[in-house]
Amino acid sequence: MHNRNRQVGIFLALAVAVGVAIFQSPTRQHAHSSHDVVLVTHDSFVMSKELVADFEKTSGLKLTLIKAGDAGSLTNRLVLTKDAPIADAVFGIDNTFAGLAMSHKLIDGDLTPTDFGDACFNYDKAWFKNHQLQAPTTIAELALPQYRGLTVVENPNTSSTGLAFLAASVDKFGEAGWHKYWQSLKDNGIKVVDGWETAYYTEFSGSSGHGNYPIVLSYASSPADEIDAQGHSLTASILDGCFRQTEYAGVLLKAQNPENARTLINFLVSKKFQETFPTAMYMYPIDTSVPLPDSWTANTQLAAHTFGDKLDINTNRKMWLTQWSAIFE
Amino acid sequence: MNKNKPLAWAAPLVFVGVLFYWPLGRVLAQGLGGDWLATISNVRTAHVVWFTVWQALISSALSVLLALPVAQILHCRTFWGNRSARAIITLPFILPTIVVGIAFTPFYGLPTITRIVIAHVFMNVGIAVRIIGSVWQRIDTSVEEAAALDGASQIRVFVSVTLPQLKVAIASASALVFLYCASSFGVIMVLGDLHTHTLETEIYISATQFLDLPRTTGLSLIQTALTAGAFITAYKYSRGSLSLSENFDTQQQTPIQKRDRIPAFATILIFCTLIFWPLARIVAKAFTFNGTLSLSNFMNLTGYGARETLSITLMQATLNSLRNLTIATSLALAIGTYASYLLSRQRLNESSRLPVAFLDTIFQIPVGTSAVVLGFGYLITFSSGFMPLRSSWIATALVQALLAIPLVIRVVYPAFVAIDIHVHEAAAIDAARTEDVVRWIEYPLIRRSLLTAAAFAALVSLGEFGSTSFLAYGDQATLPLVLFQLISHPGPQNYGMAMATSFLLLITAFVIVYSVSANTQSRQTPTYRANSDPQT
Repeated sequence: MHNRNRQVGIFLALAVAVGVAIFQSPTRQHAHSSHDVVLVTHDSFVMSKELVADFEKTSGLKLTLIKAGDAGSLTNRLVLTKDAPIADAVFGIDNTFAGLAMSHKLIDGDLTPTDFGDACFNYDKAWFKNHQLQAPTTIAELALPQYRGLTVVENPNTSSTGLAFLAASVDKFGEAGWHKYWQSLKDNGIKVVDGWETAYYTEFSGSSGHGNYPIVLSYASSPADEIDAQGHSLTASILDGCFRQTEYAGVLLKAQNPENARTLINFLVSKKFQETFPTAMYMYPIDTSVPLPDSWTANTQLAAHTFGDKLDINTNRKMWLTQWSAIFE
Repeated sequence: MNKNKPLAWAAPLVFVGVLFYWPLGRVLAQGLGGDWLATISNVRTAHVVWFTVWQALISSALSVLLALPVAQILHCRTFWGNRSARAIITLPFILPTIVVGIAFTPFYGLPTITRIVIAHVFMNVGIAVRIIGSVWQRIDTSVEEAAALDGASQIRVFVSVTLPQLKVAIASASALVFLYCASSFGVIMVLGDLHTHTLETEIYISATQFLDLPRTTGLSLIQTALTAGAFITAYKYSRGSLSLSENFDTQQQTPIQKRDRIPAFATILIFCTLIFWPLARIVAKAFTFNGTLSLSNFMNLTGYGARETLSITLMQATLNSLRNLTIATSLALAIGTYASYLLSRQRLNESSRLPVAFLDTIFQIPVGTSAVVLGFGYLITFSSGFMPLRSSWIATALVQALLAIPLVIRVVYPAFVAIDIHVHEAAAIDAARTEDVVRWIEYPLIRRSLLTAAAFAALVSLGEFGSTSFLAYGDQATLPLVLFQLISHPGPQNYGMAMATSFLLLITAFVIVYSVSANTQSRQTPTYRANSDPQT
């Protein structure tokens, strides 16, 4: 009998330990009070300390920021956690994933557009000058032999920028032609990396990373960040085959503090925050009345015509990605 | 006491049942509901499965082969620096896998697959050394010495006397290393370069990038079957020879001498090329900024990285990791040791061999199950309902404990088994009560294993990456998550911070491993002879 008591004792002790640990912990990762607001964003979101302080002061709320990967990972993660959302509001779902977010009913109400930008190729001006080569002007030219092994793109499976360009290529070359186009890019030695930051900061020769590839899939606004002492940009955009990416914010369904989330989203579309999009995130403010920085007006322009943003990305994404992967693996 | 078995098993079984098999079952059930077979019946899946299996086979065979000379030198010989050497060779195992991947990226001349195998051997040779060495050092050397005196060659002695006694340890080490390599994730993500996939990375991509539940779960089924099958095979192989040394004596370490030159030379070679070089590289990179010797990387750790990469500082992440570590280690050690004890008791009961295999398997399956799948299972099981664990930080710690329990059992169970059955019989004849046997006989004999197990559990918690990335968000991020964020956001500042963090993790891990080995060293003399009779 002694032995039995001992075992019952061990069992009870373990059960109590686990129980206490589970139920003493906050039921949420952030012990929410009515003065809290949690914003989940993609990895590229930047909000200066001054702006955070400004928001907290004017609203009387305490802001917590969570980063959850690129736009795709962010949206998928919100789908997987929609029963008990990890935040009150989301920023950074773009038009390649907005359909997914809406079909899974992630958002309370509508998505609010906050900013936009054109995903397109950039090239390193100095590299082409040194090699006495004319830089390409269309995306079709990237498959030409003189540009062999010069281009780095993001994997559309793991990068929303990559997915945006895949959609643009489908639009430009058609369902019948885009496979052939990508096959020719592959045959021409295109390099595929997992994300925008690796492509731009590690592989691209025109950025601070001084990589080996003079052509990179980035944004029409990126040249504004590569300015020399004279105020001239060291890089330029190829304004063909661009995808207009629009980013959205929204209140998450079942959020603990939906009212606070609305207050925060109103702040994101206010002039004060909109002004910071170009310098902090290299995106155009959705509010066109907000003036752009001088470096932007001098060195960047949007594409006259964009591709792919009108396609039904949500329906076709999986098929495109499977077919794209079949070419590259 | 056998009559009490069902109740005794309740605590550990309920723990793994509710926190492991339930979420795993939910994942698999959801997948089986769809046309999962169609989603995985393709050439791509076949390639992935084939690669997963053969790279794990090669990696585990190489790890165990290289571990043999190292285990003999480090565990059966005494020499200056032995303790440090043991601690160092264990280090790669507990480094975040993402760091291991980074450490092997510059082997540009070598093909991807070779680099993956080298990285796996680098990580796992230490655990193989631990498992094999802890048995080897208890082997009675008198037979070997007698054989040598009779003129048997060194190789002959090893093959016919030593090796048979190491069979169980080699089998369990091989099985464990195979399981780790077959469920390797971070290394493949970094070194696979998007073209080489194992089941684990394929599962991850299906889940997080495609939200393709049928395929995720179909792949999870294959992965679980593969690792469970591997374990059961290894177990069957080792079952026939489970009785270890008949006379128990840990004092088998002899000074290193001339006849050890072959294993000693092999050990030095393995240390220099496989272990030191990648570790030294991390240290060098941690103290280099812009090509010059600098502490900038460490100074940067107070911030959020270039372009505000991080959600929390490293200090906050460290506190999160330590909190998870404390909970996970305590739970894993308590449950793992208790289960090992029950398993060893069960084993003494000749009529119930099958339940031992069965019960052991139940506790071992978590080790080979994709941590990513488990994290995913938590999302779909514990997001709502009566146990909304997912949104609490405790979920991370619980998963880490589950992943550490099999390791605790693998370390502690052999120690229980190694205790001579005659000791129990003698104690029974002396009418010793169970708690006296545990207190005076078993505890002193397994203390060393307990410390090792605790250290491993702590380090599993510290380095766990796959499930944590599913469960810990924002201000709950752990050190490996922060590290991954830094490494996946390029630039010299983030890279340097990642290296500095890796360096600090490396030092922390070394201190843990070293202090454990120091502790056991000073108490090495077994107390069993003095205390074996509780009546005295």
